[in-house]
Amino acid sequence: MTVQALDRELDRLEGLWSDGLSDTYRAYLDSVGQFDAETQPKLALAAALIEVGVRLQGLGGRAAPPTTLLVGDLCLARGSRLLADSAPLAVQVAFARAIESLSSAAAADQPAPAARQLLQASLGAVR
Amino acid sequence: MSGTRLEFATRHATEFVDITSQIRDEVRRSGLLTGRAHLQSLHTTLGLAVNENEPLLLRDFESLLERLAPTGAGYKHDDFARRFDIALDEPVNGHAHCRQLLLSAFATLLIEEGDLVLGRWQSVFAVELDGPRQREVAIQLEGEFARPTREGAEGLVELELARQLMVDPEAVASPMRRLLDAGGKRLRPRLVQLTSAIGPRNDPLRAAELAAAVELLHNATLIHDDYVDESTHRRGRPTVAAAEGPERAIAVGDFYFAKATRLVAEIGNPGVTSAVAEALEAICASQIDDVALRGTYPGDRDSYLRVIRGKTASLFAAACACGALLSEAATDVVDALRRYGDLLGTAFQMADDVIDFSPSSGKPVGLDIRQRVLSLPLIYAAEDRVVGPEVRRLLAGSLGDSEVGRVTELVTSTDALPRVRKEAQTLIEAAVRELEAVELDGLQPALVGVARSAVDRSS
Repeated sequence: MTVQALDRELDRLEGLWSDGLSDTYRAYLDSVGQFDAETQPKLALAAALIEVGVRLQGLGGRAAPPTTLLVGDLCLARGSRLLADSAPLAVQVAFARAIESLSSAAAADQPAPAARQLLQASLGAVR
Repeated sequence: MSGTRLEFATRHATEFVDITSQIRDEVRRSGLLTGRAHLQSLHTTLGLAVNENEPLLLRDFESLLERLAPTGAGYKHDDFARRFDIALDEPVNGHAHCRQLLLSAFATLLIEEGDLVLGRWQSVFAVELDGPRQREVAIQLEGEFARPTREGAEGLVELELARQLMVDPEAVASPMRRLLDAGGKRLRPRLVQLTSAIGPRNDPLRAAELAAAVELLHNATLIHDDYVDESTHRRGRPTVAAAEGPERAIAVGDFYFAKATRLVAEIGNPGVTSAVAEALEAICASQIDDVALRGTYPGDRDSYLRVIRGKTASLFAAACACGALLSEAATDVVDALRRYGDLLGTAFQMADDVIDFSPSSGKPVGLDIRQRVLSLPLIYAAEDRVVGPEVRRLLAGSLGDSEVGRVTELVTSTDALPRVRKEAQTLIEAAVRELEAVELDGLQPALVGVARSAVDRSS
């Protein structure tokens, strides 16, 4: 990705940050105490991006308009990248399973479990 | 050459562990037809032996080892007062080391017709001499390997895709199955499979798992793209969004996005996981860029290249790099294949743009124009001195059948299509040059073939 493209991405995330992502991030900081200090903010941010991402997409509710869906997709992708680079394998797998659980419930028009609860539990996943 | 490690736990102080079937499995998985399997114990108290697996005979061997090197026979190795740098958990095991000296730490087995050459009563044993412990035996296989045929490799991916969908909830599996069954070129899985045969660790089953995950990820992104682009059809069938509504399309895309990233993570190669995650992020970021650029449609060449490198080429590059990483290819090979994939993906998209103007493609002509999708021939036509003003004027308004037809006519009247075709060919030649600079274990012709066929196509 070019520097210019990265700048544009950062601008997008900054907008999200002041629009609820920061509060969500702080809510996850309590769930990452078992990881080393350097990893904690990355995993809390990954969880927050995924929660905000599925919310933006309207997963389990009314579909978001296309442009909002794309920002939601980017949040999921960025969260996934942070997990790939920083999380133990068990946590990566648990996060993926959490999204699978949310999306399969949504596809079947069934009530979905609370995203935050699922993602907080994923942060505690061990082998 | 192919290498692996055989891992197992022993349960007794002295134990003959029959590892014949595990070695046989490794030989089959590797596709080695004729050659040798070299085994090496990675421990000083684990020996290797070829003999008969008959329980009373194994007890005879134990007794023999006990007679030749009895337990607790005053070994100097066990006199910790005379030794330096002793670990806290140092065992009293002089007898075990001496017994290993009587055995061997190495074995070479012959392979013919894809199987071990063993006599009727011969079995291969790892001989535990100081158990119970967790043990490892290194295996290297060398000789003539079967090259997976294209049909065989594709069959493995199709089986893996079917196997994955079989365990998924029907609400998500059914739309994905319809999309996969409708076709698709399966270029990305093919690239994963080809590049996974380059390094020393060639495992066709693991490669098929990775290839299927990459294909699922690609299709998950298509499902969301179709909603964003308001596409009604893909591969001749209604899109998930058109058939089942945007809510279902978002859920199905998310499910397979998550499942694919999980399958990749479970393969357990951090380099592969990171490469796929990086590509996914590039795809999503470029999709936003793409939509943003529609305000200045048809845009310019630089913006076009930036978008398609993220949207299309990034997953091609990741597919090539991932296969090579999975096979533990050298870093220079991985890097060259990543660049090959990037160039190939870019050329592939350019070829797609040209096909949009071809009446023999099987798709409606001018679909990209109708959906205001970035298209290099259109960009060149809009920059043309003669027809450019009319192209830009038409694109600025609403695009019905007559406008799309007229724009198509104008594009084909310029040199835009041959120019883009030539540009794609130039990229393919650059991709081929990347392959020439590294050692690819005989796979260069197949990769060159994939590259050329990606642009020499009519659909």
